[in-house]
Amino acid sequence: MILPKFDYKKAEDIAQAIALYEGARGRACYLAGGTDLVPMVKLRLSTPKAMIDLKGIEQLNTISRKGNSFIVGPNITLFELKCHDTVKDYFPALYESLDATSCETLQMRGTIGGNLLQNTRCLLYNKSLEWRTARGFCYKMGGATCNVVPNVAACFSNYCSDNALSLLSLGASLKLAGPEGERKIKLEKLFSRDGRNPFTLKPGEILTEIHIPLKRSTGAYEKLRVRNAIDYPLLGVAVSLKEGKGRVCVGGIGPAPLVYDLKDVAGAGLKDVAQQARQEAKPVANATLSAGYRKKMVQVLTERAVKRALKEGK
Amino acid sequence: MKTIKVSFEVNSEPVSLQVKPYETLLETLRERLDLIGAKEACGLGACGACTVMVDGIPLRSCLVLTPEVNGASITTIEGLGKNGNLHPLQESFMEKGAVQCGFCTSGMIMTAKALLDRNKKPTKKEVVKTMSSNICRCTGYKKIVEAVEGAASKR
Repeated sequence: MILPKFDYKKAEDIAQAIALYEGARGRACYLAGGTDLVPMVKLRLSTPKAMIDLKGIEQLNTISRKGNSFIVGPNITLFELKCHDTVKDYFPALYESLDATSCETLQMRGTIGGNLLQNTRCLLYNKSLEWRTARGFCYKMGGATCNVVPNVAACFSNYCSDNALSLLSLGASLKLAGPEGERKIKLEKLFSRDGRNPFTLKPGEILTEIHIPLKRSTGAYEKLRVRNAIDYPLLGVAVSLKEGKGRVCVGGIGPAPLVYDLKDVAGAGLKDVAQQARQEAKPVANATLSAGYRKKMVQVLTERAVKRALKEGK
Repeated sequence: MKTIKVSFEVNSEPVSLQVKPYETLLETLRERLDLIGAKEACGLGACGACTVMVDGIPLRSCLVLTPEVNGASITTIEGLGKNGNLHPLQESFMEKGAVQCGFCTSGMIMTAKALLDRNKKPTKKEVVKTMSSNICRCTGYKKIVEAVEGAASKR
């Protein structure tokens, strides 16, 4: 598959990357691993004028500890992060979700920042330009309809990051830098809940740090997919438990993950949360498994993940 | 669009080229350097037929832009054999009959080589997990896994 024409620039530091973005008048994409972006560009879902390579920025390639935070540079590959001792010891949910992401070869290329900021996916969206032109453009392509559910106002594309769920369950936050300066947000605030434009990032903003509270947790990640390698999640559930309290995150359905606090871990609380998650998840027929099955599995995987996390804690 | 000058090593030989900024490493290897061992199948990073090693890491060359590998050291399937002899993995793939149409084979062998380079004696589970990065549509994976295990046991 041939790429469309674009320019390639390599940035040495964050300020230069932002300057390059502004120089391209907003028609530029930041490139890290490229495992999500390059296929999008090949399918003409994104047609940037320039690609700004962030891999040369040393600041984005580091893992450190500062105070009570574990700080991950977004250019760290999924494989590197998975092999890090702190992740294994402190954040088992993150370890499991990293391990469940795609396959080993792609984990060695894909970065944690890129994984968080991957675009939402839909069976009728991630297709070639010819296919999409024949079918007619949907909301997410700038059209005036949804091709999956007729006569709705929203886009139901699925946010398919495995690791966003485990990071949410661990209470992670993000540091961003952009033309208007730096800011720090909770990971929950990253999601706009609109499938057309799933993130609240401002134009030209770069993810510079991922902060995870450095507290030992137990946890688990459960993923629904057809093949155990390569597939994106058709449903993912991450659970992290710290000091008798927990957090459950359900994703892979709709443009933003669902987050629930688990106060009473051992008793009836679990059943309530699992049922609530099932009621609130709104899958539609835009993935390889049926919407009804995915909805049922929300409750099953939530209960399974929490039970496994509790067992590991003992 | 202005071309970009890139220099890298392919199979221990230095290469210097003027490439288009939107050229993938796979295109450069196949069309400019005549290294046609890496194959284009899906072109979207799903299948692994285009796997080559860049600085010791197996990468899907259809997802990598050539300007990104400036200064890197690349190994393709053509660079595995030494002095007219095949690499033990290549021998093992032949011996166990792990090749049918052969389209996925170069990618499979490069993924396996990266595994054996970092883990001399992988367990069967580890082999299966790593090799699941690549898709084969003919033989099934049993013989491929056997071939990788066979090559590992000979080292």
